[in-house]
Amino acid sequence: MANVSIKALNKSYGPVDVLKDINLEVEDGSFVVLVGPSGCGKSTLLRSIAGLEPVTSGAISIGGRVVNELPPAQREIAMVFQSYALYPHMNVEKNMGFGLRFSGTPRAEIDARVSEAARILQLDPLLKRRPRELSGGQRQRVAIGRAIVRKPQVFLFDEPLSNLDAALRVNTRVEIAKLHKLLKATIIYVTHDQVEAMTLADKIVVMNQGRIEQAGKPLDLYYRPANRFVANFIGSPAMNMFEVTVKSRSAVQTKSGAAIKTQVPLEFKIGEALTFGIRPEHISAAKGPANFSVTLDMVERLGELGYAHCELGTGEKLIVELRGEAPVSRGQKLQLAFDDANVHFFR
Amino acid sequence: MAQDSQIELVGLNRRSYIRVLAFFLLPAVLIYSLFSIYPLIATIVDSFYLRHDQAPMTYNGLGNFYTLLGDTTWSVPFWNAFRNNCYFFLIHMCVQNPVGLALAGLLSLPRLRLRNAYRTLIFMPTMLSVVIIGFIWQLILSPLWGIWKMLLGSVGLGYFFGPYLGEESTALITIALISVWQFVGIPMILIYTALLAIPDELIDAATVDGLNQWRAFFYVKLPLIWPTIGLVSVLTFVANFNAFDLIYSMQGALAGPNFATDIMGTLFYRTFFGNQLQLGDPTMGSTIATMMFVFILIGVMIYLFLIQRRMQRYSF
Amino acid sequence: MKIKFSTLAVHVVLAGYTALALAPIILVIMNSMKARKAIFLAPLTPPTPTSFDLIGYARVFSDGAIGTYYMNSIIVTLGTIVITLLFGGMAGWALSEYKFRFNKLIGIYLAIGIMVPIRLGSVAIVSMISGLNLINTLTALICVYVAQNLPLAVFILGEFMNQIPKDLREAARCDGLSEYNIFFHIILPLLRPAMATVAVFTMIPVWNDLWFPLILAPSRGKQTITLGVQQFLGQYITDWNAVLAALSTAIIPVLIFYILFSKQLIRGLTSGAVK
Repeated sequence: MANVSIKALNKSYGPVDVLKDINLEVEDGSFVVLVGPSGCGKSTLLRSIAGLEPVTSGAISIGGRVVNELPPAQREIAMVFQSYALYPHMNVEKNMGFGLRFSGTPRAEIDARVSEAARILQLDPLLKRRPRELSGGQRQRVAIGRAIVRKPQVFLFDEPLSNLDAALRVNTRVEIAKLHKLLKATIIYVTHDQVEAMTLADKIVVMNQGRIEQAGKPLDLYYRPANRFVANFIGSPAMNMFEVTVKSRSAVQTKSGAAIKTQVPLEFKIGEALTFGIRPEHISAAKGPANFSVTLDMVERLGELGYAHCELGTGEKLIVELRGEAPVSRGQKLQLAFDDANVHFFR
Repeated sequence: MAQDSQIELVGLNRRSYIRVLAFFLLPAVLIYSLFSIYPLIATIVDSFYLRHDQAPMTYNGLGNFYTLLGDTTWSVPFWNAFRNNCYFFLIHMCVQNPVGLALAGLLSLPRLRLRNAYRTLIFMPTMLSVVIIGFIWQLILSPLWGIWKMLLGSVGLGYFFGPYLGEESTALITIALISVWQFVGIPMILIYTALLAIPDELIDAATVDGLNQWRAFFYVKLPLIWPTIGLVSVLTFVANFNAFDLIYSMQGALAGPNFATDIMGTLFYRTFFGNQLQLGDPTMGSTIATMMFVFILIGVMIYLFLIQRRMQRYSF
Repeated sequence: MKIKFSTLAVHVVLAGYTALALAPIILVIMNSMKARKAIFLAPLTPPTPTSFDLIGYARVFSDGAIGTYYMNSIIVTLGTIVITLLFGGMAGWALSEYKFRFNKLIGIYLAIGIMVPIRLGSVAIVSMISGLNLINTLTALICVYVAQNLPLAVFILGEFMNQIPKDLREAARCDGLSEYNIFFHIILPLLRPAMATVAVFTMIPVWNDLWFPLILAPSRGKQTITLGVQQFLGQYITDWNAVLAALSTAIIPVLIFYILFSKQLIRGLTSGAVK
């Protein structure tokens, strides 16, 4: 396994810049997830690392070797595609061993590696089947098996769970995490699902419009998002955000005039316009003094968990996470409180 | 019963239902039966009868076929035409289809510039009438104009030149190659389309697996398009055994020189309509047509039962 | 920008074959506009001001019949396409929508026509057409060509109609539309892409066909352009100018048409080919 180092990477299609000044370090054996909305460039970045797309400038290094000029086969990578990309005319065994046929690996070695991978992924009973005889989850495992057989320095996953149904997705997510520990593999993984990112990653890289917004440990991004975009992207339901002006060192006022009591850090001046953010799960009914009050619009109950959709001021919507059977009714005025440590201010 | 529930679904009673069906189906079925199926059956039936000028038709069983295949006045030209047809077909299978395959393979390479321009331009001869194409090549190959001789000379093959179309030994292969030149666009387009259907991710996977473009073509793309190649082959077969236009326009109904370019189509035409050498003989014409039908049927059956079964269409 | 050797090789091959495909055509058109001497002395050069000569065209057009030939071809081809699309669409609709007892049987009956060439029945066709007194009419040609192209049209249009969501038809029925209205007002407009495919597959063989015009409509007034050119060529075979001009006259309109519509044509071919 090796580390991956990307320095000052730029990629343009003619006049359009799709990747802008990407700098990223992937430590050996770590699981890095590239996440972001559609079109943010995460797949393009992955494919550039793989060698399936040329880059305009910058350097990609794998294991200390600059690989810009090398074709994919020589970069010692293996890729798992969103649609699995299994060869329809070959059975599972041949699919997994296909790449090695052309690299001069002796037959016995190929067979050994294939059975090893099959054992790890529990594919033994399926070895002689064709892809069309397999279920989605099975095909996905074969795709992973094909990658393992190559014994690459880096594994690249391109939205591998997108085509699976919800239940299977959860199971397979756990399987992938276990695989990572077992193989001690360096994995770069692309997804648009922030839940996958949060649960699988050692490091999350949030991308937007070709740029890296923030990279770091999942909980770092959760508790200390660097900007509005990351704050909004990580966490579900999304963070509540309001445009406010600083009224005093201990209060801010929203656009519609509602007041929120909170300690304002010294770096922000009185009268400054900021975005105030607080996550739904960090707000609760006030037991003592309240930080602000809202009007309840509607409650969604999912058993133990519930979401209260409230209105702070005209047109300013807020979601609060409820636990247990908190009695609330429509139109009710709620007094809410939060810990100042969980408040985020963005310029 | 499924039929009743269908009617209910449609909300019609039985009589209106039949009327609707008739309205939609009858025109097509009638024209098709009248001008396509009936004549074919009539022809086949006709070949079992004898007709002499003004005399009424008499049943002849397989007599006509014995005459056609056994009696030298008929059988020599017939087997000659058949042999030529097979040769004609072989040239198409061995030249036209591989070239079409190669061109399609090249056109389907990723990130190829000018791809559409090439495709459009290479397909152009296929659009033109066979009459035109045949005549153009007659001019080019003509010793009078000398263009072809000049071209061969410029690459040092001048001695190779001759009056191809006038010589028995070269006429058929020349015409076959002209036909190949014109129609290469069809297998090219059909195979190209099949290649396009292969998902890009599959080729990416092959690239990551270490295959260069050649290997990717032979080990991944080619196996996946076998059904299309099979289809192209059977279409070539049917088209060749039906061919007539090119030879007629280049060498006339007599398919000279000395019947060297005679194929089933020209033989059929000549027998049926007559020419300077013989009177038209509709019954023998029908007999020849029936034999052509039998050959084509055998070919299609082979395709349907042997090849179609084995080849599986892969859905992606 | 790096140019890989392999990419260059690919372009060389493709460009080379393109030249092979186009050269004869260009040669003919070029030389059709030269004086006779220039044709023979310098065949590979384009017409210069001195060698420029349209005498061949004069001979072709003096005949006067070229216009008629074109009209005949247009009438036959358009007529065939329209009727094939209409009847083919109707039959395809009936087979795709109504699951009645003989549905599959009729489907196979029609499918036979795709593989079996209609020419084989020519003996009977000729006698039938003579019997109906339709020899030397364009109607006869249209009838025959429609019969020839219906099977494929029914197949392609039927396949396409299977893709149209059932909901659309159910909604229309709930709205009280008659079956006829559903077909003509809802289904037919949706068929346009498939119609383009059928039109392409029909147009080329019908326009270029030599066999049926030859045996069914050989009289001067009713010849199609293909037959007309073929006869003209046979007649003027030693007159190189006239011959080259005639060929060019037949080629150029088709070329222009092709270049204008090539995108739609190829799209029609490729989408149909997938079936």
